Amino acid sequence: MMNGTSPVAELACEQFEPRRRALTLVWRMVISIADTDQLRQLLAQCSLGDRRAFETLYRSVSPRLHGVALRFMGRADLAEEVLQESFVRIWHNASRYEAHLSAPLTWMINITRNQAIDQLRKQRERPLGEVEQNALLDESPSAHEQLSSAREAHALKRCLETLDGMQRQSITVAYFQGLSCSELAEHLATPLGTVKSWIRRGLERLRRCLES
Amino acid sequence: MNYQTPALRRALAADYAIGLMPAPARRRFEQLLVDDAALRSELAHWQETLAALTEALPERPVPDRVWHGITARIEPQVLHVPEKRPFWNWLRLTVAACSIVALVFIGALYNRDDARYSATLLSTDAKPALKVEAHADYLQVEPLTLAAVEADRSLELWAIPDGGTPISLGVVPVGGKGKVELSEAQKGLIGKPITLAVTLEPKGGSPTGKPTGPVLYQGALVAL
Repeated sequence: MMNGTSPVAELACEQFEPRRRALTLVWRMVISIADTDQLRQLLAQCSLGDRRAFETLYRSVSPRLHGVALRFMGRADLAEEVLQESFVRIWHNASRYEAHLSAPLTWMINITRNQAIDQLRKQRERPLGEVEQNALLDESPSAHEQLSSAREAHALKRCLETLDGMQRQSITVAYFQGLSCSELAEHLATPLGTVKSWIRRGLERLRRCLES
Repeated sequence: MNYQTPALRRALAADYAIGLMPAPARRRFEQLLVDDAALRSELAHWQETLAALTEALPERPVPDRVWHGITARIEPQVLHVPEKRPFWNWLRLTVAACSIVALVFIGALYNRDDARYSATLLSTDAKPALKVEAHADYLQVEPLTLAAVEADRSLELWAIPDGGTPISLGVVPVGGKGKVELSEAQKGLIGKPITLAVTLEPKGGSPTGKPTGPVLYQGALVAL
């Protein structure tokens, strides 16, 4: 509707989307998570205590973060807990979001990841049940594998493909399981230094590829 | 560790972002971040790169209970009102009532029009004749053994400062009992070492402003 739309078409649109509805349901509004400016605006409003902005933000972003949380936790109930805690943090820390440093979605994904990893670490500290043991040993589908069906993230897919297998795996495990370097070395049955260099080189390659 | 090498800063930021650092190193790095904007920016770049790893993850609908859980956490908590405890309520009321009574009592004491000075004026033959109490604004006069005064005469009350000339305080009410109001200047005399004296004057008091008749009674005004 941006360019080259005829006046007739614009009028027709107005009839189908009555303004009144847009006004009364404004807090129910869901914006695209790709709309960085909007998300940034909503975060700014949240930092001023605007609950409606927070609800809009929640409705826009929560399905995305829920997917992220589930990838980390592997269990629906735990993922919901992480999601809930993450949004409580987003609300309380909105004023600490630094717009010039990172995209709003990245900031929120980071909060979700930190929450998830905290939970994963707590679980690891207590003796694991058999189910959880299997979940940890079980190689969860790598980001690379998941991408095969994804429409988006072509760049990521292409970039992950430039990594060799162990670089990709160690990065994925480190990112999604929050393992420390030594835990990771144990998990991959590989010397510590080797794991570190896989990750560092892999990350460097990934970043350059994504930035290019 | 030298954090100034760009390559090292970049590598450490990557380690931190992905979570490879052990806890002590993490804390050190976080300390550095506080004052180092460039390092924060370096870290943000890595976080952006890493967040890309989640790009392919499918979105998942969220059950309503999550939102309810969140609002329950962030909504201003309803103040927890303790259950009624009759004894404590009774005690509080009693204490409050007692405080009010005490305050009123103290207030009354404070405002009470207490005489601050007093003098008993004696006749020339040393008999107590007139009692004078000085309040803040007036003198209260009471006859003890007051001689009868002729109808065309008045008794006038004087203040005599040490070594000074008498200053009129006014006429003693007929019968010797009543109030003598004090002017501002007269109030200033109260509390100073003065002697009170009563003279016999023409009706309404001395026309000259100075005693004209004989001194019938006198006595020192002393603090109570």
